[in-house]
Amino acid sequence: MDGLIYFVGVVLPYVTLLVFSGGFIYQIVRLARAPLHLHWELFPYPETLGGQVSELATEVATLRSLYLHHRKLWGRSLLMHWGIYLQVLWLLLVLGGWEKVSWPGFAGGLACLFGALGIAVWRYTDPEMRTISSPADYLNLFLVALIPLVGLITGFYGQADLLRSYLWGIASFHPIPPANGPLALNILLIQCFLLYLPFGRMAHFAAKYFTYHKVKWGEVSRHA
Amino acid sequence: MRKVFDDYRALADNVLRPDEPRVDKFVEAMGKSLKKENWTFWLPYVLSLDYCMKCGTCAEVCPVYQASGRREIYHPVKRSEMLRSIYRRYFTLGGKLWPGLVGAKDLTEDGINALAESFYRCTVCRRCAYVCPVAIDNGLVVREGRKILDAIGIAPDELKDSGTQIQLKAGNATNMGTAAFLDIIEFMEEEIADTWGRQVKIPVDKKGAEFLLMHNAGDYLAFPETVMGAAVVLQAAGVDWTLNSPATGINDVVNYGVFFSDGELEKVLRAQLKTALDLGIKTFVVGECGHAFEALKYLMQRLIPAGERPFEVKSILELEAQWIREGRIKVDPGKNREIVTYHDSCKLGRLGGLYEEPRTILQAACQDFRELVPNREMSLCCGGGSGFAIMAKGDFLKFRMETYGQLKAQQLTDAGAQVVALACSNCKGQFREIINYYKLPLRFAGVSELLANALV
Repeated sequence: MDGLIYFVGVVLPYVTLLVFSGGFIYQIVRLARAPLHLHWELFPYPETLGGQVSELATEVATLRSLYLHHRKLWGRSLLMHWGIYLQVLWLLLVLGGWEKVSWPGFAGGLACLFGALGIAVWRYTDPEMRTISSPADYLNLFLVALIPLVGLITGFYGQADLLRSYLWGIASFHPIPPANGPLALNILLIQCFLLYLPFGRMAHFAAKYFTYHKVKWGEVSRHA
Repeated sequence: MRKVFDDYRALADNVLRPDEPRVDKFVEAMGKSLKKENWTFWLPYVLSLDYCMKCGTCAEVCPVYQASGRREIYHPVKRSEMLRSIYRRYFTLGGKLWPGLVGAKDLTEDGINALAESFYRCTVCRRCAYVCPVAIDNGLVVREGRKILDAIGIAPDELKDSGTQIQLKAGNATNMGTAAFLDIIEFMEEEIADTWGRQVKIPVDKKGAEFLLMHNAGDYLAFPETVMGAAVVLQAAGVDWTLNSPATGINDVVNYGVFFSDGELEKVLRAQLKTALDLGIKTFVVGECGHAFEALKYLMQRLIPAGERPFEVKSILELEAQWIREGRIKVDPGKNREIVTYHDSCKLGRLGGLYEEPRTILQAACQDFRELVPNREMSLCCGGGSGFAIMAKGDFLKFRMETYGQLKAQQLTDAGAQVVALACSNCKGQFREIINYYKLPLRFAGVSELLANALV
């Protein structure tokens, strides 16, 4: 057991870091090196940088496209996405030394869990959604739900101090194994998620830069 | 023709060759399409293959899916997945290792038949791409799929053999010779005198003119009012302009390559370019034709270097709106007293950005202008797009009417319009049929025609 915890807590993080950053760099370089395609923008689109940033920020924060055109999905998707944002925020706070602030972790975990399960249930029970879904679509959702599920059960979001010393150990290249089994389990799940993230559809948040900036919004003013 | 997808067939047996082995060829052609040699749309293509979250938002705005009563086979994700499942199976590691998990499928001959027909049910109106949270483009997937089909010899004859091929040979896709063209021009001059009481001399093949106006050649036969209206407006504006006959090269602004082939797209563009260069004109004016504007204004930009095309490209709508604003032409809206509405062509609107120009013209030239709902970027495709307006084999016209056409007919009825103004030939072809099919109490008119009618 100790050997396993050592592997998960001390060896695997560096593998994860390499695969995660390598994977993302590979995907981004692949897309960034794409040949310049023919004009294919859709009008109207924001033509100033400020306008573009504000439209993308609105979309990320409110999922406006879903609100306007697919209301049935909007609530649960917003719940899941904000759950992810809050959990990431919590991890950053923990890393930054604010380990007393635990509510973003708890709240984010709850939102993420119910949002992802809500989407999965709807995907399975709505005949129309079911027909366009493959097992991988459910797998993605379960992976997103599994982290907060296990985290909430094992009290992961309450162990900020232990997590912080563990993360700083990794970051300073003096890794120490996770203090207990449940913490190791949560760390394992997060690592699985990060290992998979660059290679699947869940990397859509990065792809969005290209679909919006390089394609939908064009790169020149139509008046140029 | 046997059933391969739904109750319709866009592709005849001699084109689709449903019983011939084509799987290997298809996979090979798809492999090529994924390489950067296919640079024209590589980035949006790869993004649209890899990052669809299958949230189904596209289906909520897809005209054919909605109008069909949400038939599963017309779901835009289902359609794109037909190509994506092949992509995953033959070109991704995940698809090779775990086909069932990721939605990868072996390609079969029946699969090709269904895919080919399915990809000729979508008009590439790109309404779905406009609302997609990730900006995934089902329209582009369809167009790339059509390119693969064309590479293995499957393209509608209306668009290729009797389309681009005839256009490149005869100068126009209607196969009209110079003598016939000149006869039509003469007839139009007489007709203008009768209709509008104006003496208009239509200049033809004039070298070095400021404006070369090139119409969809089909307009001379099917929608002559648009051609005549434009002539009246250009003469009233007092500008130096010309039409051109097939004797000068290409005199047809259409480019069906837009719908299924980058190769054909470029060939037609280069032939149009050569004609314009030989005539030594300063501005290439695209008549009332949506996809031609897309091709000449946008698609040409990175396909043909700027140095090789020393002229501006403008839609006739841009010029007409400009002349109204400048007071160069004067109009009296009282001359168009009927209730007029405007249908935003997908190619001129979402793909072309021309929302204000037609409204400037119509609001000035018509007494009672009303909007269709929805309009502009959310405009519903009429169903004539991507070549459908000239495809009517078998029951295909019925498909166009019962799906896209049905939504449009309802929209027109709700607007209570007496005239629907159109600025795209494919739309006109489709609306002519919609009005007949649904016996709607209204008529369609070209924007230039309504403007000519309002001139004082």
